[in-house]
Amino acid sequence: MSEVLRLGFVPLTDSAPLVIAKERGFFEAEGLRVELSREVSWATIRDKVAVGALDGAHMLAPLALAATLGAGSEPTPMIAPMALNLNGAAVTLSTRLSVAPGENGEAQALSKLITRRRKEGASPLTFAVVYPYSVHNYLLRDWLAAAGVDPDRDIRLTVAAPSRMAELLADGVIEGFCAGEPWSSVAVASGAGRVAVRASQLWGKAPDKVLGVTQEWAEENGEVLGRLLRSLIAAAAWCDAPEHRAELSGLLAAAPYVDAPRAAIAASLDDVIFHRDGANAPRPPQAAWLLGQMARWGQVAADAETSSVAGQVYRLDLYEAAWAGQNA
Amino acid sequence: MRVLVIDPDPARAALVAEGLAGVEPLEVRRAAVFDEAEAARFGPDVVVVAADSPDRDTLESLRETSLANPRPVVMFVDRSEPGLAEEAVRAGVAAYIVDGLAVGRVRAILEVAMTRFQLMSQLRQDLERAKADLASRKTVERAKALLMKERGLEEDAAYRLLRKLSMDTGRPLGAVAADLLAFAGVLKGDGA
Repeated sequence: MSEVLRLGFVPLTDSAPLVIAKERGFFEAEGLRVELSREVSWATIRDKVAVGALDGAHMLAPLALAATLGAGSEPTPMIAPMALNLNGAAVTLSTRLSVAPGENGEAQALSKLITRRRKEGASPLTFAVVYPYSVHNYLLRDWLAAAGVDPDRDIRLTVAAPSRMAELLADGVIEGFCAGEPWSSVAVASGAGRVAVRASQLWGKAPDKVLGVTQEWAEENGEVLGRLLRSLIAAAAWCDAPEHRAELSGLLAAAPYVDAPRAAIAASLDDVIFHRDGANAPRPPQAAWLLGQMARWGQVAADAETSSVAGQVYRLDLYEAAWAGQNA
Repeated sequence: MRVLVIDPDPARAALVAEGLAGVEPLEVRRAAVFDEAEAARFGPDVVVVAADSPDRDTLESLRETSLANPRPVVMFVDRSEPGLAEEAVRAGVAAYIVDGLAVGRVRAILEVAMTRFQLMSQLRQDLERAKADLASRKTVERAKALLMKERGLEEDAAYRLLRKLSMDTGRPLGAVAADLLAFAGVLKGDGA
């Protein structure tokens, strides 16, 4: 194939399968020529994939579902033929907050602080998430709600790019955030924040990023998509191998990719699953669970039409066909 | 026209100001980074942001909440992204200005974005109103059925009674009907 595939990514630890497929020759091994395009917002990722300026991208799993449903944008049928990782999302609180750390008690203590501030007439605490349609938004909300905090009433919730979170926390613009790694580890390393809870603690194995392409592109490029999936699965397996961690964090830390301190990226790898335990399979029940979260917070209607897109977007069949090709 | 340009580079704000020359009154303000409180104080008619700005997600999230007084957003896109602007506009994704090429088109693009935004807001309001009307009509129907059953009234008489209650209390028909249903529930013990 002579044509160059253009794939977008956002600077995050879980962009690793794309970066490694490019840097360690997994795309090449499948005869693919790929150009990676670093993007700094999820809205741009969605728009570029929707209009064909990118062939596919590293994408928030709920974003692929939202785009298909037309929530937050014009509807564009997208598919997620593979998951790029599980876990990595974490709630990070400012070290300046006078909340005693402790795995279970922290949300309760925060809830008390929020109530006290309201009684005193103080301004509400501000939290940032990376995007409205993200597991980060749902994780923060779920964690707060379990402690009796209404995220729509008791706090101010804003959106900021993941790479800006540590700085916003240090400057006191926000008191906490939920973002993907390595940005929690960066905030911890700088002394501005500490991790209160991780998606892995609250939910076990949480869906996170997927490879997102439009349904139209997938239909027109079925054979290329198969090779793309095989190269990314092989790259994801490489990323999970403990002996590759030093090399992986070094590559990701570079300016064209995540552009963050290598030590923070190395630390962030502890929480992210790239391949093991069937992490790459896009299982429709995971999509259904995400749609449930979207409905819980009023982003989409909780009806049959909504739940019908789970299997339409999470294409386990395409993943399995590529996987079978890999092992043939 | 008040225009807020979010860009660390002053060149684009200058381009916007140049493209809007002649519009009176005109205030073009530039900020390197989007600040919600500052933007609220300025109250722009339209926000212009680089398509490659990390603030795009922040601006987009404001559209999701009615609280933040949303504004139409126009995106600047780099010339090195061929096709993106045209495709995006055709797909209705957003209004885009292609960098460096479009001084003469700035005004038209901003005006189209503002008109389209107002149209979409109007449609959204109409839809919400229609949904509320439907809900209220269903409530009135249920309250009417309750009166017919409990008071042995004909449909017309039940409706007239509801309307009288509405006029006497100066409250909308739907609200009176909802109260009636709630009280009936309490009297039957549902609300205990």
